[in-house]
Amino acid sequence: MVMHGVPNGIVNPPPPPPEQEPGAEIGGGLGWAPGTIILVFVFLAAFATYYFTNWKLLSFLWEVG
Amino acid sequence: MRDFRTCATTGLRVHRQADALIKANAVVATVTLLVGGLAAILVLLTRWQAIHLLDVIPFYRWLTIHGMNMLIFFIIFFEMAVLYFAGPVLLNCRVPVPKLAWASFGLMVIGTLMVEWMMFAGRADVLFTSYVPLQADHWFYLGVILFAVGALLVTCIFFASLVVAKREKTYEGSVPLVTFGGLTAAIIAVITLAHGAAIYIPTWLWSIGIGNVDAQVYRMVWWGLGHSSQQINVAAMVACWYLLGALTVGATVINEKISRAAFVLYILFISMASAHHLLVDPGFGPAWKVVNTSYFMYMAVLASMIHGFTVPAGIEVGQRIRGFTKGMFEWLRRAPWGDPGFSALIFSVIIFGFVGGITGVTFGTEQINIIAHNTLRIPGHFHATVVGGTALAFMGVTYYVVPLIFRKKIAFWSLAKIQPYLFAGGMLIFSVAMTFAGTFGVPRRHWDITFANAPFDLQFSPAVDLLIAVTAIGGLLAALGGAIFILCTVWSVFFGKPMEEIGPSSMEEGAAV
Repeated sequence: MVMHGVPNGIVNPPPPPPEQEPGAEIGGGLGWAPGTIILVFVFLAAFATYYFTNWKLLSFLWEVG
Repeated sequence: MRDFRTCATTGLRVHRQADALIKANAVVATVTLLVGGLAAILVLLTRWQAIHLLDVIPFYRWLTIHGMNMLIFFIIFFEMAVLYFAGPVLLNCRVPVPKLAWASFGLMVIGTLMVEWMMFAGRADVLFTSYVPLQADHWFYLGVILFAVGALLVTCIFFASLVVAKREKTYEGSVPLVTFGGLTAAIIAVITLAHGAAIYIPTWLWSIGIGNVDAQVYRMVWWGLGHSSQQINVAAMVACWYLLGALTVGATVINEKISRAAFVLYILFISMASAHHLLVDPGFGPAWKVVNTSYFMYMAVLASMIHGFTVPAGIEVGQRIRGFTKGMFEWLRRAPWGDPGFSALIFSVIIFGFVGGITGVTFGTEQINIIAHNTLRIPGHFHATVVGGTALAFMGVTYYVVPLIFRKKIAFWSLAKIQPYLFAGGMLIFSVAMTFAGTFGVPRRHWDITFANAPFDLQFSPAVDLLIAVTAIGGLLAALGGAIFILCTVWSVFFGKPMEEIGPSSMEEGAAV
């Protein structure tokens, strides 16, 4: 159902999740939440890059010798 | 029972007073957003050196108006609405003392009007921080105090609603996670407002000629208000993330205990983390700075990183158990990107984490802070957290509040669907370009970076002109997104079509939040 002017979550609320066996595989054979894990590593790479750049900038500002 | 209505969509029993208080706070929040947004455009067009719109005094006046409206009035009025939703509405209980709730709202409005009057009259050109010895008219400080007292009373009413709900057995088990997030925001609000009272009462007395205020003490205590108030935002924003995840795609909470523990980390450490504003102040020793910013601050950062993981992971798990299991990202690709609540949620997480979070943690290092402090890198950071993160999450929630609480359809729906993209895209460009302009040493809060008529000459890299122009373009895009948001919500509330009743939905999901 589509209703103009009403968010999808109200018109078509997400169906209740199906019953899961305890410890059931939900990642389609890729582990538990594989997409989010990839995003975590993207975040880590961005963090490392930005942090390194800052120390580099600091070294330009306060030169030794 | 006529004090309650049952929401046809969610099945929640909504106390009519809570309903009305949410509406009142949301409307005032939107009005202050409009004032702050207009001020933002004027400030932006002045900092864009090619246009340099305002003269020096009006610039600082509009900058003060921008800061107070956006960082205090818009955000806190909206948070009060969140507290009435997370308390009485989600717990199916009544507002404990409705008359006091309306009196608190009245106090906040009166305080806001007093502050606005002083700022527009040019009697409070002291910026958001109002650092002493800069002095505003005493009505300005009194207005802030009244506003803070009103907000403090609302947090007390929220605590009381938890007691009432428990006593009247309106819910079972633990409070929902969103309510727990609201509780976190309320506890931080008490800490914040106590700092506000501790510094604004002596400053008000000083403004009427009684006593004196030490500049360094002012900065230390004031940041207990200034930064912690933004942490109320963070807690409320994260609560909104969980709420939006559940409403839009049926996200699961992957581990309640971990999410709640992360909220507790905010309560325990966030106030001390405010010390990172004083990293280059001469009045404090290195041990004090290191303990507060390299230990306590990182514990608060840990909390944000936990939420930054559990929210998308909850969305992914929720999508996967509903069958979106192909490859790494089908769960994300097949998500409802046309739902402004969902797109606002995702962009809020990304901008808050990737831009605001990474830059913020970096500036929390004392040595790096030396090069970043008082440059445009700092506003670049906090526009990513407060505007790209919090304000966008609040906008996403509003697209659900209007149909569920105001019972109105969203007007200009096609515009509403693209609004989060415009706003998020604009803020992303704005924040990143501003941060990089700061990297080249461009000062923050400065009216004229050409330093015309100054006794010295300072040339910035030619790249600065480009970066400032890109900042302005990003800011204007975001302002357009903000204007569309205001148009859609105000039109919906006052002239919108009423909602047709939609049948009761699966409240298992609602209960999960």
